[in-house]
Amino acid sequence: MIQFLINTLPFLWQGLLVTLAVSGLVVASSLVSGVLFGVGLVYGRWWIAWPIRVYSDILRGTPLIVLIFLIIYGLPLVGIDFGNYASAVIALAAFKTAHVAEIARGAIQSIHFGQTDAGKAIGLTFRQRLQYVIMPQAVRRFLPPWINAVADAVKGSALVSLAGIVDLTLATQQVIGRTYDPLPMYLLAAAMYFAINYSLSMASRRLESRFAYVRE
Amino acid sequence: MSDNETRARRDFLKLGGLGLAVGAAAAATLDAQKAAAQSAPTSQLRTVLNRGKLIVGTGSTNAPWHFENDKGELTGMDIAVARILAAGLFGAGRDAKEDLSKIEFVKQDPASRIPNITAGKVDIVIQFMTVSPARAQLVAFSRPYYVEGVALLTSSKGKYKTHKELIDAGKNAKASVLQNVDADQLVARGLPQAQVMQLDTQANAIQALDSGRSDAAVIDLSTVGWLVKRNPDKYLDSGFHYDTQLYSAAMRQGDPDWLQWVNTCLNVAMHGHQTEIYDAAFEEFFAAKPPRRVPGFPTI
Repeated sequence: MIQFLINTLPFLWQGLLVTLAVSGLVVASSLVSGVLFGVGLVYGRWWIAWPIRVYSDILRGTPLIVLIFLIIYGLPLVGIDFGNYASAVIALAAFKTAHVAEIARGAIQSIHFGQTDAGKAIGLTFRQRLQYVIMPQAVRRFLPPWINAVADAVKGSALVSLAGIVDLTLATQQVIGRTYDPLPMYLLAAAMYFAINYSLSMASRRLESRFAYVRE
Repeated sequence: MSDNETRARRDFLKLGGLGLAVGAAAAATLDAQKAAAQSAPTSQLRTVLNRGKLIVGTGSTNAPWHFENDKGELTGMDIAVARILAAGLFGAGRDAKEDLSKIEFVKQDPASRIPNITAGKVDIVIQFMTVSPARAQLVAFSRPYYVEGVALLTSSKGKYKTHKELIDAGKNAKASVLQNVDADQLVARGLPQAQVMQLDTQANAIQALDSGRSDAAVIDLSTVGWLVKRNPDKYLDSGFHYDTQLYSAAMRQGDPDWLQWVNTCLNVAMHGHQTEIYDAAFEEFFAAKPPRRVPGFPTI
């Protein structure tokens, strides 16, 4: 049994790398676009805030699997085809962006408006207020839910296996398809996902304590 | 010169080209590339030949149809059929590696089989696809390359090993089967009195047999052949096979040239003079030999 598991490790390792790559791309791109969208939601004029609100509500109200299939099979109908890998990553990132935008909005809005007023009173510009007053405080409230969202993205990346991308999930199913022995493989895959997500939550704890006090 | 005249002249030239092609074929000097130029200009056959590569939609998680072997290479009966087509298209066929280098496999979930055809992501789907009139409204099926059935897998450690023993056990026999709307009837056609245990995957139905929770796993005949071949001291074929379903390759509708070519190639590979790849795969994956081909009256 142990030998069998060791033999399957190289296959799962390839899948694990794909899972990490997909998750990494999704997390990085959704962090950038999500924070921008979040700032737009809070401070943007109506013609910025409204489209973001509509985007966020639609995306968060759509099942992820539907979104993936929509981009993979819907866009080629109008002549756009990114290929399965890019399509799946775009779908996951678009979905995650909506969530990150809401987390960022909540974090920013949770900072009392007195802080903004105080910033204005000492003559800080909008950029300076964001950079020195609002964001350093908002980041602390942003981190815990964001790490949750990241762990969610790692688990959600398993859906790319439905698009035929050989991530950890599909790599596991491929081994099961050959051996017809599912249980040890599922346990091994679960352990791998857990290892990723547990290290994420460890990292998050460190980050949170790192941002828990304001540096002089 | 009016448009009509131009068209008439072009058609005349095409006719001339066709005549030339027929002549050349008779002289056996025409290669497939040129002949493809005579097929309808939009045919997938022509696209594939020009591309020099066949794009096949298939899976990677179901032995013995399409799965990765211990070396991580895609193999199985579906892959062998893809190889037959590649050998026919690009004139290889002596070397598996060379044939496979002419194929791009798009790994897909079974649920993506029809969408990937209609979205034009693949030239052909070869993924243990059951032919049904409903599906045939959406895609064009090739001739069947296998007739799948249902069989009863038993364990060499189990109480009941043969179909007769299972029948005699009556209500005491437990059968595990993949969850389905008609799973109860499916089991009943093989074992009328047995208790039915429905599970979410075929692998789990087999797992139930392994752990002794069921006496027989009611699964695909091809899977039984594969498992018994791989683990002869662990599994047995109870010997009763029933319920037929046709497995075919599927293509986009509205392309008779492509469909006709695929059918011709499969006919030759199953009934003609180039049966080596098909026979070797049949033996490797189903532990059985195709019936001997008898010259004379065509049985296809």
